Amino acid sequence: MQLLKKFSVATISSVLATGIVQSAEEPAPEDWFNAGRQTVIDAGHLNPNEKHAKNIILFVGDGMGVSTVTAARIYDGQQKGGHGEENSLSFEKLPYLALSKTYSVDQQTPDSAPTMTAMVTGVKTIGDSLSVNQFVAHSEPDANIVNANKLTTILERAKSDGMSVGIVSTARITHATPAATYAHTTNRDWEGDSDLPAGATVPDIAAQLIDFNINGGIDVALGGGRTRFIPKTATDPEYGIAGKRKDGRDLTADWINKHNNARYVWNKEQFDAIDPNATDHLLGLFEPSHVHYEADRIAHDKAGEPSLTEMTRKAIDILKKNKNGYFLMVEGGRIDHAHHSGNAYRALTDTQQLAAAVQAAMEKTNTKETLIIVTADHSHVFTIGGYPQRGNPILGLTQGVGASSPDLDMLGLPYTTLNYANGTGYTGASNLQPAGSKTFTTPNTASWPSGSEGHNPASFSPAFGRPLLVNPQVQAPDYLQETIIPLGAETHAAEDVAIFAGGPKAHLFHGVMEQNVIYHVMAEALGLAEQRR
Amino acid sequence: MKIFDFLKILFSFSLPWLSASSLANSDSQLPEVACRYEMKVTPHGKFKATSTKAWFFWRKPGMVQTQDADGHYGEIWQRTANGSIQYRKLYHVDKTAIEYMPADMPTNNMSFDWIKLSSMLDQQELHALKPVKKTRVLDRSAELRKGKVDNRDIEVLWLPDVSLPASIISKDKTGRAELRLIAIEPLSATHRKPVDIEEIANYRHIDAADFGDMENDPFVKKVMAFTEHHNH
Repeated sequence: MQLLKKFSVATISSVLATGIVQSAEEPAPEDWFNAGRQTVIDAGHLNPNEKHAKNIILFVGDGMGVSTVTAARIYDGQQKGGHGEENSLSFEKLPYLALSKTYSVDQQTPDSAPTMTAMVTGVKTIGDSLSVNQFVAHSEPDANIVNANKLTTILERAKSDGMSVGIVSTARITHATPAATYAHTTNRDWEGDSDLPAGATVPDIAAQLIDFNINGGIDVALGGGRTRFIPKTATDPEYGIAGKRKDGRDLTADWINKHNNARYVWNKEQFDAIDPNATDHLLGLFEPSHVHYEADRIAHDKAGEPSLTEMTRKAIDILKKNKNGYFLMVEGGRIDHAHHSGNAYRALTDTQQLAAAVQAAMEKTNTKETLIIVTADHSHVFTIGGYPQRGNPILGLTQGVGASSPDLDMLGLPYTTLNYANGTGYTGASNLQPAGSKTFTTPNTASWPSGSEGHNPASFSPAFGRPLLVNPQVQAPDYLQETIIPLGAETHAAEDVAIFAGGPKAHLFHGVMEQNVIYHVMAEALGLAEQRR
Repeated sequence: MKIFDFLKILFSFSLPWLSASSLANSDSQLPEVACRYEMKVTPHGKFKATSTKAWFFWRKPGMVQTQDADGHYGEIWQRTANGSIQYRKLYHVDKTAIEYMPADMPTNNMSFDWIKLSSMLDQQELHALKPVKKTRVLDRSAELRKGKVDNRDIEVLWLPDVSLPASIISKDKTGRAELRLIAIEPLSATHRKPVDIEEIANYRHIDAADFGDMENDPFVKKVMAFTEHHNH
C-alpha cells in the first residue's frame, strides 16, 4: 500500500499487543502474522485474578460510545505522529472487554441517570431517576416514598464496609453520573434546593452529598457546580454571580464543619496546595457549573482549574491512606456535552483526557489489588464513515487509498470522515448561523451583544445541497460535523458501549452484558456479593 | 423572532466591538431609564410580510433588562462586582431562566461590551456615521447621523443625554429594518417595571450546556416546539 508507512517487526508486535506505534517502517506480511500470533500467546498467559479487590476505580466516559473511542484513539495516535489507527488509548490495553446494553426500564435510548443507577446499584430504573427503583414516579417529591424505594449504591456499600470513597467529574458534581453514586431522587435536575418544587421533602442532590452520613461521609468530591452549594446571599468567588441556595446553607462551610481534616478548594492554586497526607476530606468545586472542556481549560479558565488527570491523582492519594481500600468514580463528563454540541474535536480531546486519567490511575495502583473499569453510560449518534486511507486525518475530509484529493459525494462535493446522524451541524440556515457549515462558536459578529451562545439553534431552514468543504475548515477545533437531521442538540444513541477492565475479578466481564452487571462484578470483587443488599 | 435576533439584524452594520474587560468606562453616569421601543422589519418582495414588535428596555447601573411587550420573554445582563457579566434568557410565564455560564463565554467567543449593552451602540459605531443635523425627539435633544456600512444605509437618531438611540434605520437591497423609541421615562417613574432581581433569582435556572441532556424536560420541549412553530 503506497501510503502505508513502514513498521518494524518489533513495533508491529507492539501494535497488536500494546497498541503503541510510532515507527515509520512498513510491516511485512509475516510481521502482521507473527504479531497476531504473539497476541494469542499472550492471551493464553492471562491469569484471571480471583482475589478480592482492595480498591475499585470506575471510570465513566459520559457518552463515550465505541465510535468515540475509535476516533479518539486515531486522533491521539495522529497527535503522536503515527497513522493513528494502530494507537491504543490507555484503557484499551486493559485485558478484559465486554459490551454493555444501556437501555433503561422505560427508554430504548437512555439518559445518564438510569444508566449510572444501573452501574452503581445493580438495578435498572426509569429515565431521570437516580438510585431509586422503577416503582417510584418521576419527580416524586415525598422523601418517605423516595426512601422506601431507594437502591443502595456500591459507594454506600463500600463506605459502610469501612472503605474510603470519592467522586471526580468534569461535570457538576451534582450532575446525573456522579450524583447516582451518593444521592437518591426521582429527578436528576433537582441538583440544588432552588430546583425543587414547592413542598418537596426529598433533599436536593447537593445537600445529599454534604449530608451523606455513612461512616464519616464522602472523602473526596472534585468537579464543578459551585453555585448550588452556596446561598443566594453569597457570591461566587471567581465570577461574582449569586449562589443558588434558598435555604441559606453554605454547603462548602458545612463540608468543613462536618468532616475531620476537611478542606474546600475552588481554584488550582488551592488544589495544588492540598497535602493528601494532611487532608482526609476534600471538596473541590472549580466552576459555578461544569468545568471547562479540556481543549479550553488552560486558555480560558479565569482562576485556573485542575485537569481530570490531576483530580484523579489527588483523589487516589487521599483515598489510598485507608488500609481497607477505596471506591473511586471518575467521570469524563463533558465528552457528552461536546457531542450534544456536534463538535467532535472537543469530544475527542476530552476522551484523550479521560484516557490520561486512566493512565495516571494505572500508574498509581497495583493491578493485583485494584479493579479498574472504564465504560460509558450511553453512546452518541457519532459515525466514522467513507473509505479514508490509512492515516487520513480523523477530523479531515475523507481521502481514499491512493487518491491525491478528497473523495467526492454524488453532488461532486468532499465530505468528512466524522459525522453525526442528527444535531446542530445541519447545513440549512439556523436562527444563529447562515446556511452552510456550522461552527461551535457563533462568529463574534458585530451585532447586538446579546450573546453568542455557541451553536445551540432554536430553528433551522431546510438545507439545499451541501457546502463545499476544505480541510483547514473541517479540521479546525470549532467545526461542527454535518448532520442529516436538524436538532437543537445532538442526541444519545442506543447501541451498546464497551466495558474495559483489569484487576481482581475483571475477567467476569465478558460477552454482551446488561449494564447493571457492572455493579455485580464490583460487589463480587469487593466480597460484598454474598452480604445482604 | 426574539428581540436579540431582531437586533442582530438591525445592528449588523456595527463595527467590531470591544471585550468587556477592555472597557474601563463605567455606566454609573448613565441615567436609569425605562424605554418602550418598537421594531419593524420590512423585507423587499411582494409576498414578504412586514413584522412589527414592541419591547421594553430598562437600564440601571450594573443591569440591563429587556422584555417582549406581552411580558412572556426577556433577557437580562448583570455586571458583577468583579467585572464578569451574567447573561440569562428569561421565560417569565414558566418562571425559568436559561443561563450562560461565565466559564462557557470565552469558549463560545462571547465577550460582552457593557457600554454597548447599556447604550445599544458604542461610540466607535456612532462616530463611524456622519453627523447630519441636530433636532429634538420626545422633548429631548437629538442628533441625526447617517452613513453607509457594508452596503447598508444607516440612519441613527441619537439622544446624547441618555446615551440611547431614538431610532435606527437600516436599509439594503433585502429590505428595511427600523428600531424606534416610543416612550422614555425615569426608571423610578415608570409604570411598567423590570422583573425584580430577587424574583428572577427564584426562577428555575437551566444551564444552556444542559439542553442536550434535557430532551424529556417539559419546559425544554415547549421552548423548542414553540420556536419551531414560529419559524416554519
